[in-house]
Amino acid sequence: MTTVHADIDALKGLREALVRFRYAQREVAERGGDEIELTRASLAAKASHWQARLEQDRAELEACRASGGPKAAPDSSAYVRAVEQTGERLEHVRRWQQRVEVEADEFRGTAGVFGGLLDSGLPRAETQLLALITSLEAARRVQASGS
Amino acid sequence: MPTRPDRDGDEQFRLLGAAWEEAARHWQDEVARQFEADHWMPLVQQSRGYLEALRSLLDMFEAAERETEF
Repeated sequence: MTTVHADIDALKGLREALVRFRYAQREVAERGGDEIELTRASLAAKASHWQARLEQDRAELEACRASGGPKAAPDSSAYVRAVEQTGERLEHVRRWQQRVEVEADEFRGTAGVFGGLLDSGLPRAETQLLALITSLEAARRVQASGS
Repeated sequence: MPTRPDRDGDEQFRLLGAAWEEAARHWQDEVARQFEADHWMPLVQQSRGYLEALRSLLDMFEAAERETEF
């Protein structure tokens, strides 16, 4: 196409860019959703790990306490510290889990609006551009045949 | 290492912006102004909002992973 039709070329370029953008951003949105699930799963696995560890630490503490007779209380301070530390780690993971849930919920609202743009707003814009391109091309053909 | 989706989204947004600028050089009539108001500006606003929200969320996910490694 010659530079006479640079406007049509530019409009076609914009329409093609809109189509590419729509498909690419759908993929971005899918990957964003995958990241939410991956992070939730990862934190759930960590919480499960520290929960199991906490139960183990508590059992070891109880076993230590039970090992001493009524007259000889064993030194269980290391087991107590282990229970405390594991409990703190578990709580830390659970706080992150809560934060992830809250922020992922908020994000879903924004993602829903953007999804509406991809599903209906952009196709409407593409359709309007295609109609414009078609009418410009038809007008140029009329001009060319009349000249 | 795969790129983060928000960065790919930013790049696609940049490419679309370049196509818009090229079209706007040649298309400056009333239809263009209406298209800009009806389609382009909402697209820019919603895309920026979405990509910023996605970036913030993924930053937070990275922090969550980092902060829960003991």
